[in-house]
Amino acid sequence: MKTHEFIVRRILLLVPVMVMVTVFTFVISQIIPADPAAILCGERCGLVDPKTGKTLLELQRERLGLNKPVTEQFWIYLSNLMEGDWGESTAYHRPTSEVVRDAAPITLEMSFFALLIGYPIGISLGILSAVWQDSVFDHISRFMAIAFVSLPIFWLAMMLQLLFSTGPDVGGICDPIFGTEGGCLPIYGRHDVALTFPDYTSLTCTQISCYPWYYPSGGTGFHLVDSWFVTDQALSTLHPEYSTNGALFNDSLTHLILPSFTLGIASAGSLLRYMRASLLEVLNEDYVRTARAKGVSERRVVLIHACRNALVPILTILGFSIGGAIGGAVLTESIFSFNGMGRVAVQAITVLDFSVIMGVTLITAVIFLLANLIVDIMYAVIDPRVRLE
Amino acid sequence: MTWKEGEEDRKESLRRIKESLAQIRLDASRSWKVFRRSILAVSGLAMVVSVSLISFFADDIAVEHPSRDLQDTRDTWTNDYEPKRAEPFSEECDWHKQSISLTTLRRWDYNWTEALSHEKVNPFDRTLYRETLDVIELISLEDRLGYPIPLDLVSVDEDNDSLIWISDELMENTSYTTVKLTYVFDNQEMHHWWLPDGYDVCIFGTNNEGQDLFSKVLYGSRVSLKIGFTVASLTVVIGTVVGSISGYYGGRVDEVVMRITDVFFAVPGLILAMAFVAALEAVERFIMPLWLAVLIPVAFLSIATRSVVSDSILPSSGLKPKDTLQSLYSILKNPAFVAFLVIFVTLAGPWKGLFIVTDSWIWRVFASVFAIMMVAALVVADRAMVDRASFDGFRQRTREVFDWKNPYRYLTLRTLAVFIAAVIIHRWSGDTDGEITVIRDFDRLWKIQVALVFTGWPGYARLIRGQVLYVKEMAFVEAARSVGAPSGRIMFRHILPNAWAPLLVAFTLDIGGTILSASGLSFIGLGAEPFAAEWGRLVSDGRTYFPQDWWLILFPGLAIAFTTLGFNLLGDGIRDVVDPKNRR
Repeated sequence: MKTHEFIVRRILLLVPVMVMVTVFTFVISQIIPADPAAILCGERCGLVDPKTGKTLLELQRERLGLNKPVTEQFWIYLSNLMEGDWGESTAYHRPTSEVVRDAAPITLEMSFFALLIGYPIGISLGILSAVWQDSVFDHISRFMAIAFVSLPIFWLAMMLQLLFSTGPDVGGICDPIFGTEGGCLPIYGRHDVALTFPDYTSLTCTQISCYPWYYPSGGTGFHLVDSWFVTDQALSTLHPEYSTNGALFNDSLTHLILPSFTLGIASAGSLLRYMRASLLEVLNEDYVRTARAKGVSERRVVLIHACRNALVPILTILGFSIGGAIGGAVLTESIFSFNGMGRVAVQAITVLDFSVIMGVTLITAVIFLLANLIVDIMYAVIDPRVRLE
Repeated sequence: MTWKEGEEDRKESLRRIKESLAQIRLDASRSWKVFRRSILAVSGLAMVVSVSLISFFADDIAVEHPSRDLQDTRDTWTNDYEPKRAEPFSEECDWHKQSISLTTLRRWDYNWTEALSHEKVNPFDRTLYRETLDVIELISLEDRLGYPIPLDLVSVDEDNDSLIWISDELMENTSYTTVKLTYVFDNQEMHHWWLPDGYDVCIFGTNNEGQDLFSKVLYGSRVSLKIGFTVASLTVVIGTVVGSISGYYGGRVDEVVMRITDVFFAVPGLILAMAFVAALEAVERFIMPLWLAVLIPVAFLSIATRSVVSDSILPSSGLKPKDTLQSLYSILKNPAFVAFLVIFVTLAGPWKGLFIVTDSWIWRVFASVFAIMMVAALVVADRAMVDRASFDGFRQRTREVFDWKNPYRYLTLRTLAVFIAAVIIHRWSGDTDGEITVIRDFDRLWKIQVALVFTGWPGYARLIRGQVLYVKEMAFVEAARSVGAPSGRIMFRHILPNAWAPLLVAFTLDIGGTILSASGLSFIGLGAEPFAAEWGRLVSDGRTYFPQDWWLILFPGLAIAFTTLGFNLLGDGIRDVVDPKNRR
């Protein structure tokens, strides 16, 4: 099988899974015990429209298509999804697609940084652990790998907050060690509070619902990227401390460190074990023995000959750990008060905002499947044996 | 080949069974030696055992009941700890100095009162009780607004240290409807031997309600272990059944099942579980239709008799029941039959609609005896069949539906007959659309358990499928198939016993994972109710006072980490034993 054939086949395999996911979210929306029409019209549900003689509840149900048979509702749902209409959030009073579009980049940014922190830790410890097999270091790092996976993410996050806390009573470890005042890392929010409440008079956004979401956007939604594309005019409305793009970037980056580290620790634990097992397997191969027999230095054998091959299976885990990171984001975002998908999902579930629940489930599935698709394609390019199965 | 001709074969196979039993014993001792070598594995085992012991003896170790309510508004003397949120090992926790305030909310009727401890739970009958305290020193007396009242208006009895007399002056003064008495008491009674000297309730501090965090964490272990075991066992059962069906039959079934598991893997487990809990929001009771309640015991009964009969007639088993009594004994040893009895006896009450009898112990005994008689009758019928059973031309006859000389076919038909009989009785009873309540109080804890089972089974299904695909190709499976053994028997008797090792590892690891996710769900507010003794909930409750009252977060979180770590280390150790090639 050629590479492009493999890719086409792999993409075609995605289609049934995607359809199943939409069926799944639709079924969930059907059994959730909240009537979106009743939530939308609220207290005025009983009012009668003089023109049609129907109550507002009935009109809302008609507008949302809830009075149609279930199969027809599903087709409408599918075709709406295709057109980009993901329903309307009853909690935010905005289209769900907008809510998800605002939230997804924040989670993705955090997950990306989590993997950026977790992968080097996991891989390097895994290599050392395999090289010094059965040494004290190996035992300690194996224990750490299991311990990292066993720590509750929400607890780890709060303990990190405690260590770097900025409160006057607790102080954390920063103040005595680094001589800072009020902690060295921010423990709440995606950006400084001063950026959430800018100068009201020059605000372009007039709706009240904009305020918690307000950030001088550069258009992508990824704060790290956006901070470089904020225009000078928008910058002038901000707090004087954040009058340059660099200052904005610094602010977003420092706010990312603790949440990403929390998430990264968990993925580092599982990665360490996989890397160790994979490298140990490769180190027993014939070509490693050959390389050693040729007199290649041990460092070169491990880092060049063995590691390159041992890293190939690790690629598969990359796809799965993206899913794990997004799942963990539910807890991390609630604690660090990021307005990402996890927090949106938690809020949507507490108020039974079903269209947002469906939207978040769907978008996480899409992200996961796309990530795995890319990983599989990379795998096929790197390791031709995969294509031949 | 008939039964009598197979005598030699049976003797041979009996010898083999004995040999393999001896081998298992040898393997067990060897495995323990391997397991013992690893410090991590042994410490994991020790952690799991200690958490289990703690949860078992929580009533004895705990200082107070986890849901003790301090704001007692009844017309009695109540006491509460003056310091509301106490740091671990702080001054307020020193029992020598601890002040207990004694409050009445209404004017009293007697001129004396007793110094009573807070409520404790009796481990034997789980009732709440209070102990009398020995008062050492009276500290202050205040009225409702906190203004001091002369302390000499109350006095401690000279003989009885726990009796406090109230002077007539205070009794007759109608301006004092409520007074608050603070005193120091000798806390020796409440002081547990394992606590550091001088400290009583506060080794983990107290929460904003003044409740002892240590007791809450102790009782939390019960909830977490229960959730862990329930969810892990249910997921194992469901995942095993689905995975083995998928792996054994392959083809289209396999394809569909695998696509379904793909969907489950595509959505992060926590988000999926959250959505599922939300979907279960409206369910208040877990109800089972009566026909299903009938079907489950009948199915167990059929499986029980089926395996008993297979054991007695198959050439591979070599166990021939000598007489009816012995065959009855072999039935009672059968786990499936025991499961049937348990289900039958526990559900006998709700079955009133089926048999129209009262819910009494006589009925339950009668039901059990009835079941035993039923099985005995079946066994007698089976023995008659066994003597006529023939294995000649077996392979050719496996496809015939009605083949009375084929024991497997006979058993299948008989199971069907038993089920049809049950349905007929059910129809006759007149209550065809009744339902029984399986879980009366389907609270949030149950909901997260159901949600976790729902999200957890695909992992096991994949694991078992892989194992089945691997074992399926082995020679002994081929041999079993060539003798004409039915798919169910091949699956559960030949394939699954050879695939248990990774299952055991996954099960142990899964208990830890379940405890983690359950506490995570509780943390975001979907699990236990506020102030419940559940670890995730405790952390979530403590968040309100977060960086200041760090102990409210630290200790419940440590408990979660400790338990999960224990199960993960144990699972890892078991993996080293059962799968040595993975270890290296």
